[in-house]
Amino acid sequence: MNATFTKFALAGLVSALLAGGAVALPQKTECLAGAKPGGGFDVTCRLAANSLLAAKLIEQPMVVTYMEGGVGAIAYNHVVGKRAADPSLIVAASTGSALLLAQGKFGSHDENAVRWIGALGADYGVIVVSADSPYKTLKELSDAYGANPASFPIGGGGAVGSQDWMKAALIAKGAGQDPKKMRYVALEGGGAVLTSLEGGHIKIGAGDASEMVKHHLAGKVRILAVMSPERLTGDLANIPTTREQGYDFDWVIWRGYYTGAKVSDADYAAWTDAFGKLVQTPEFKAELAARGLFPYTLIGPAFDAKVKSDVLRFKTLAKEAGL
Amino acid sequence: MDAPQRPLAGSLSNRLAALALLVFSLIYGYAGSGIEYAFSSDPLGPRVFPVLLAAILALLSLIYLFVPGRSEAWPQGMVLMRCIALPALVLIAALLFEPIGFAGAMFVMTAGVGRIFGASWRASLIGGLVQAALWYLVFGYLLDVYLPVGELFAASRRG
Amino acid sequence: MTLDYLWTGFSVALSWQNLLIGLVGCFLGTIIGALPAIGPINGIALLLPIAYTLGLPPESTMILLAAIYTGSEYGGRISSILLNVPGDAGAVMTALDGNPLARQGRAGEALMISGLSSFVGGIIGVVGLTLFAPFLASLAIGFGPAEYFVLMVFAFATLGSMVGSQPVKTLIGCVLGLMLATVGLDPTSGAYRFTFDSPELGDGIDFVVLVIGLFSISEAMLMLESHATGTSIVGKVGRTFVRWKDVVFTTGATLRGSIIGFVVGVLPGTGASVASAVSYTLEKRVSDRDGTFGKGDMRGLASPEAANNSCAAGAFVPMLTLGVPGSGTTAVMLGALMLYNIQPGPQLFAERPEIVGGLIASLYIGNVLLLLLNIPFVGIFSRLLLLPNWILVPGILVLSVVGVYSTHASVEAVLLMLGIGCMGWLLRKLGFDMAPIILGFVLGKVMEVNLRNALAISGGELSILFQSHISIILWVLAAFVAVGPWALQRWSRRRAARV
Repeated sequence: MNATFTKFALAGLVSALLAGGAVALPQKTECLAGAKPGGGFDVTCRLAANSLLAAKLIEQPMVVTYMEGGVGAIAYNHVVGKRAADPSLIVAASTGSALLLAQGKFGSHDENAVRWIGALGADYGVIVVSADSPYKTLKELSDAYGANPASFPIGGGGAVGSQDWMKAALIAKGAGQDPKKMRYVALEGGGAVLTSLEGGHIKIGAGDASEMVKHHLAGKVRILAVMSPERLTGDLANIPTTREQGYDFDWVIWRGYYTGAKVSDADYAAWTDAFGKLVQTPEFKAELAARGLFPYTLIGPAFDAKVKSDVLRFKTLAKEAGL
Repeated sequence: MDAPQRPLAGSLSNRLAALALLVFSLIYGYAGSGIEYAFSSDPLGPRVFPVLLAAILALLSLIYLFVPGRSEAWPQGMVLMRCIALPALVLIAALLFEPIGFAGAMFVMTAGVGRIFGASWRASLIGGLVQAALWYLVFGYLLDVYLPVGELFAASRRG
Repeated sequence: MTLDYLWTGFSVALSWQNLLIGLVGCFLGTIIGALPAIGPINGIALLLPIAYTLGLPPESTMILLAAIYTGSEYGGRISSILLNVPGDAGAVMTALDGNPLARQGRAGEALMISGLSSFVGGIIGVVGLTLFAPFLASLAIGFGPAEYFVLMVFAFATLGSMVGSQPVKTLIGCVLGLMLATVGLDPTSGAYRFTFDSPELGDGIDFVVLVIGLFSISEAMLMLESHATGTSIVGKVGRTFVRWKDVVFTTGATLRGSIIGFVVGVLPGTGASVASAVSYTLEKRVSDRDGTFGKGDMRGLASPEAANNSCAAGAFVPMLTLGVPGSGTTAVMLGALMLYNIQPGPQLFAERPEIVGGLIASLYIGNVLLLLLNIPFVGIFSRLLLLPNWILVPGILVLSVVGVYSTHASVEAVLLMLGIGCMGWLLRKLGFDMAPIILGFVLGKVMEVNLRNALAISGGELSILFQSHISIILWVLAAFVAVGPWALQRWSRRRAARV
């Protein structure tokens, strides 16, 4: 499931020779997903691996490896501690990583312990109800919730403090209720949110657009609002955003990559250059769409600033929510 | 159901185990009652379950203390030494895993364990070499499992 | 619903190319399942990109992945029986009676019988998938936190059968398992419990680490003793064919295991470890009249093996009908479908019959192939036991270390396994069984999370646990399993006294 150590030891050698001005990516590249195969980090890694190869920006297939644990915490510590100088390695990250960094759940390391390369796509939070729910707009739901919060169990795919809980807390706050008093049900992933909505065990679900859209189209759930700053295109084009419906919050889940802090500027630039070229290619756009992700590009310093501002924002949010 | 057998030879070690479990349940319960959390969306929270388990274990270990039951005889002499040597060898292998790499660590472990299972020095060394090489090929190359080559070697190769 | 898609599927799956792919997948899957180091999830994740780059059509990819998945459920039993080291999560219970059989020199028989019950379980599972998928999917939706909690109560009620001659030790083992399950991130409040600020423990104690520690390390230490005192472990493997007598003897166990496994497999919140645990304890409850379970009873072997194989088929129900994975492995397969831009769901049966049909047909064909493959396999694998201990035991230890190291790529996991192994050895010497620890660990997590989620929904009202029909049926079943055998015994005794 993993590259042998030999492979990246050699890659290290090659790039050590190339270092000092060269802006080519290493021959052998690796993307580390801090979770089991099949999850969001896996999707993020495969996006980079497949599209870089398809766009011929790398010659040999990028190896995708897995290191499960702490929603990326183990991988983060591994990179900071053991592979900080490995230029062949990129690691998948998301808004969730920034959230955990803000809550100090990545151990003793903070967001400055790695180099943030760029985000290549995004997903957005969605608010869903079951298909037979009487509520057709966020306003209707929010008013009903505000009137009687105890009869609305809200489900999400994560514990208190997770992204889905944060989304639920924003909904509760939007309805003028205390997030702490929410009847929040911590489920095991978005699939469980869907089945719990269908089975009537929860009344409101917090989830991700890319995952819920297919069930929305299949008529099993209804997406009431997309938590994106602007109206989405494609299958969700007719779903209004939270802001359009008069609520002052959104939830952007960027999907990006970082590398070790001791990677040289030249090697870092090789990655940002490659990403910059990549996002222009039709191959990349096809890969992005195939994964249900939305276009969202932030590369180099812009991405670094975004991660840091997110961490700050989440610190405030967590404090407000009483975490 | 059979009547519980009279405590015989093994009762002392069973009583010691019961005491150890009792102490463990107290520590676990104490640690469980102090679990830090901001708040929980359920009325029970993260502490109730551990504290409940600690209470049950404490009760059970008290019963165990007074009805110790049977146990097997403990190994003695050379056999005991070997029973200590085996986990010790695995421990050494684990500690050597990253510094000298998978193949080296596994050689130490397989040769050593082979030896305590009664192989001659020659047989255990050859067996260790063969197993280390074989498993390295199987996992490292055939199955592509992530295994360290060893920091020493990696450093010299990079240098 | 018509079964037209299935005929389409058989015509797809029986093309020579797809048959070959299925055969390769079954073979690889068996190996992957037998090696504790890699499970079906990793195996599939490893082969998926290869299949994709080779440009295999989606139905061939699904056939390959399904074959690996099915094969690994067959393979897991091999190391359980021969080495007492479970090859994967579903094969833990198989070791309880399978390994004693191997020690009695009946490894060949044990492998054959379990192969046969795997086959029956697999086929019953696929038949269930073919006939009842949409109906079962709607039943699975009815399972909310309250229902899962009561299901776990039911599972614990079957545990009554595990209480052997030393009930206190069984109960202590169970509580220790429950305690080990509390380590890690609390999935409800997000608090870290008993992690000692170690990120490695953040996700809790990995099942692989626990099982390999408890079984293989302590096993190696026990072997050292029996070796030193001159009682060599096996030395013969026995017959490698099935006796009709044994088939008849295990039929009931196999059928019960198949049905339980399938039902548990359909529920997205549980997996092969729960399926085989519940079917084993229930079988012991039903059949173990002479206390032969755990000492090499063929029925104790057949039941969990049938269950984990039919569970594997059952896990496809939520994946194909709801688009929600029923297990870690089906989650990866779901990802594979998405890679080909295919959205799972009920419409898939009508829109892409070649994929659903090909997949289901390949499960039928895969099970037949595996049964045939296993006949020569049994002969080869059981020879392992003829290796001298000084080769075999170090080999087991290498597999254990690699298996554990590969979960988190961390030495800490290996150290944890070693600590658990030493504790397991002490407990085994003191007369504790390992099975209750495993059961407590597997069931406890699901139980606590679902109880708390149920109470979060109801705002603390306990009535939620008795609200739905499913819960009430499960409560009744639990009560029946808990006191039923005892009541029956009293009744028959009283009747005997009267006569």
